[in-house]
Amino acid sequence: ELTKDILVIPGKSELVSDLVNLSAGARFQAIRSLPMSFNERKTVRLTSFIIIHLCNISDNDTFYLNLNLYLSQQEQSELSRQHLIIWQDTLKEIGGRFGTSVLSYFLFLKWLLQFNLFSFIINFCFITIPQIVHAPNISSTTGFRGLELLTGVGYFNQTVLFYGGYNGEVIVSKPAYNMQLAYFFTIAAYLKDLVFFLLLLSMSRSFQKNFVLETGPVSGGAWRLLCSWDFSVVNEKAIQYNKNNLAIQLKESLSERLQEKNKMSLSDRIKHLSLHLLAWLLSLGLAIGSGAGIYFLGTDPELAFSFSHNPNNLRAEASTLLLPVVVSLINLIVPLLYSLISKIESYSNPRAKIYISIIRNVILKMSILGILCFYWLNFVPNSISCWESFVGQSVYRLLIIDFIFCLLGIFFGEFLRNVIGTMCIQSLGVPEFDIARNVLDLIYAQTLAWIGIYFSPLLPVMQVLKLFIIFYLKKISLSLNCQPPKHIGRAAQIQTVFIAILFFPSFVGVLSMVAYTVWSLEPSNQCGPFQGLKTPFHTIFNWTASIQNFPESNWVWWIFENILRSELFYYLISLIVLVITYFLWQITQGRKQLIKTLREQIVNVSAEIIRTTL
Amino acid sequence: MGGTSSKLPKDLLSEYQELTFLTKQEILLAHKIFSELQGGENGPYSSRVSMQKILTLPELKANPFRKRLCHVFSTSDMKDGSLNFEDFLDLLSAFSDTATLEIKSHYAFRIFDFDDDGTLDARDLEKLVNCLTGETDDTRLTAEEMRQLISNILEESDIDKDGTVNLSEFQHVISRSPDFVSSFKIVL
Repeated sequence: ELTKDILVIPGKSELVSDLVNLSAGARFQAIRSLPMSFNERKTVRLTSFIIIHLCNISDNDTFYLNLNLYLSQQEQSELSRQHLIIWQDTLKEIGGRFGTSVLSYFLFLKWLLQFNLFSFIINFCFITIPQIVHAPNISSTTGFRGLELLTGVGYFNQTVLFYGGYNGEVIVSKPAYNMQLAYFFTIAAYLKDLVFFLLLLSMSRSFQKNFVLETGPVSGGAWRLLCSWDFSVVNEKAIQYNKNNLAIQLKESLSERLQEKNKMSLSDRIKHLSLHLLAWLLSLGLAIGSGAGIYFLGTDPELAFSFSHNPNNLRAEASTLLLPVVVSLINLIVPLLYSLISKIESYSNPRAKIYISIIRNVILKMSILGILCFYWLNFVPNSISCWESFVGQSVYRLLIIDFIFCLLGIFFGEFLRNVIGTMCIQSLGVPEFDIARNVLDLIYAQTLAWIGIYFSPLLPVMQVLKLFIIFYLKKISLSLNCQPPKHIGRAAQIQTVFIAILFFPSFVGVLSMVAYTVWSLEPSNQCGPFQGLKTPFHTIFNWTASIQNFPESNWVWWIFENILRSELFYYLISLIVLVITYFLWQITQGRKQLIKTLREQIVNVSAEIIRTTL
Repeated sequence: MGGTSSKLPKDLLSEYQELTFLTKQEILLAHKIFSELQGGENGPYSSRVSMQKILTLPELKANPFRKRLCHVFSTSDMKDGSLNFEDFLDLLSAFSDTATLEIKSHYAFRIFDFDDDGTLDARDLEKLVNCLTGETDDTRLTAEEMRQLISNILEESDIDKDGTVNLSEFQHVISRSPDFVSSFKIVL
């Protein structure tokens, strides 16, 4: 039987000889990727094994040993792929009913959860545990009341939840543990290296996959629509729904193509342009107005500091919640106004509409956060004694109130809207699950958490709890209330855009804010690990000065003084990066040209073939 | 059903793991489901399951391409769309998470090629669009729209301008659709 199978092989001899030259792992992968039936693949595999082992004179035992080794490596890699296998069934169910684009929201949520869990563990191990174990007791002046959970002050004030609860001493143990350095390095390492590289890697990977070189005839998108048919949807009603949507989208794209061919008259174009301009002016005006409103509310001396002056006044404590509530209300109402404004504009492209609405919402949220940071870094340090804890508590309040508004939003936005849409006003219909808005809310909350991490090292634990609860509530609300979004397709590109948003305004902004705090702001004198220093960065100076005395670690000091602190180094690095970028861009341009030429060649060759056969 | 719950022998399991993109759990689950499908057949050891039985699976029941799937993956001599266990694993492997773009696009091409002639011509494309847009009158495309759509599709993907889309052209246009890999999935 064996020989009979081998005799079938002759047509595939080239294939087998290619396979023989690969390494074991690559060979298995290549065999799997063969578009043949199972039995044919089995035959190919057997033949390649026999040929390999005829060439190497090894006995059967090593043959099977290699196989088992490879398989056990496979299993191990499978195990490592299943980190956080919670929610596997739930995610499959969501994907089956609503498709991959809604699933991508939940996957993003799970990714953020893993991230926050990881950062919590790091902070807890390196900063909090030494503080709890070794540092002297910091007693609280007031007992625990219920309001603390919302406002974060009072009982929580001097605990390890906030910056003020940490001491900057060198803990006497073997080896000596310098709390200042630990605090500094933990936050710096976490923010810069891990988050930076993780985000950069995932962004560049998805950018590469999804924004491929767009060359050739401009696609009307017909193939894209057809090929994005979601096979993982199994619910019959959902499939029917998807079919209807696809038909509508195909018709829309056809009419767009026809419309492109009819040029618009000049007056029409001017009208459209002026409407766009008006819409942009209104949106930017709303964003600036909200920013100004928050700033004035925040700097109102009566409101802002009434609590710090009267720590025991319950009403003053409750008034600290006013600012977060106003911020959350703005975050809720202004995007609705934006969607109303976008109704007056007409877009040639539904994708442009989604992107523009995302950009406007991002501008709004970043301007709110920017104003808050400006207020915290410029106004607060001069007015309050333990200002880092104050900032940490403000961030804590913002996150909690945002969470409460999210819960309210699920209830009112989805549940009630479903009830109204189906019972009272039939024309409204069932609400659509708005992926863009939900993802932007997640990104906003995550940016707040990153801002707060320097001032409140245990903030990620709150994010973890929050995300956990939101996952389940959103899932329940999804199954009960919503229908899948109408515009399918392009999920992967939108996901890249979201990760890019997470990286650029969000993370880079946070990084610059923390860098400014550490580099130039004077830490408060009464509390925290950096008391008494001129800036928190001076810990590094002190540390390098202290190790200068040890001859064997002289090289650290040398590197620090001459390389990291000299401007010439950074100038050279930026120059090199710019030159490399220019070269790579030129290569891309050259490749585009090459593709164009090759296409023309293909057409010519096939026309030639047809001509010569006739 | 009943006493003969056949367990998958270990060497077969490792062979399946090696030759398909499925993980061990996926193969065991597929074996369990396939045995249940087989159990109701005429004999407990008839290795092929008929197309009607396969199409009772919840994952395939409502799929617009269910009949094409059975035909493409079937290695039966009678061309009746019946699958044995290895064909079933082939199907799941092509639709799994880790399958490569080449495999997925190859099988997508064969599925869309309704007349099995190796190229996608205008009739195949028309059947494809009708399959995906529903049968009711208001969602169906009119003849004019269909003509326009097919000419758009050919303009976009027919590089050598011969009026049909062959495998390489299809794979080329698929590679520019980043959503394809994530939507071409069936999970048991």
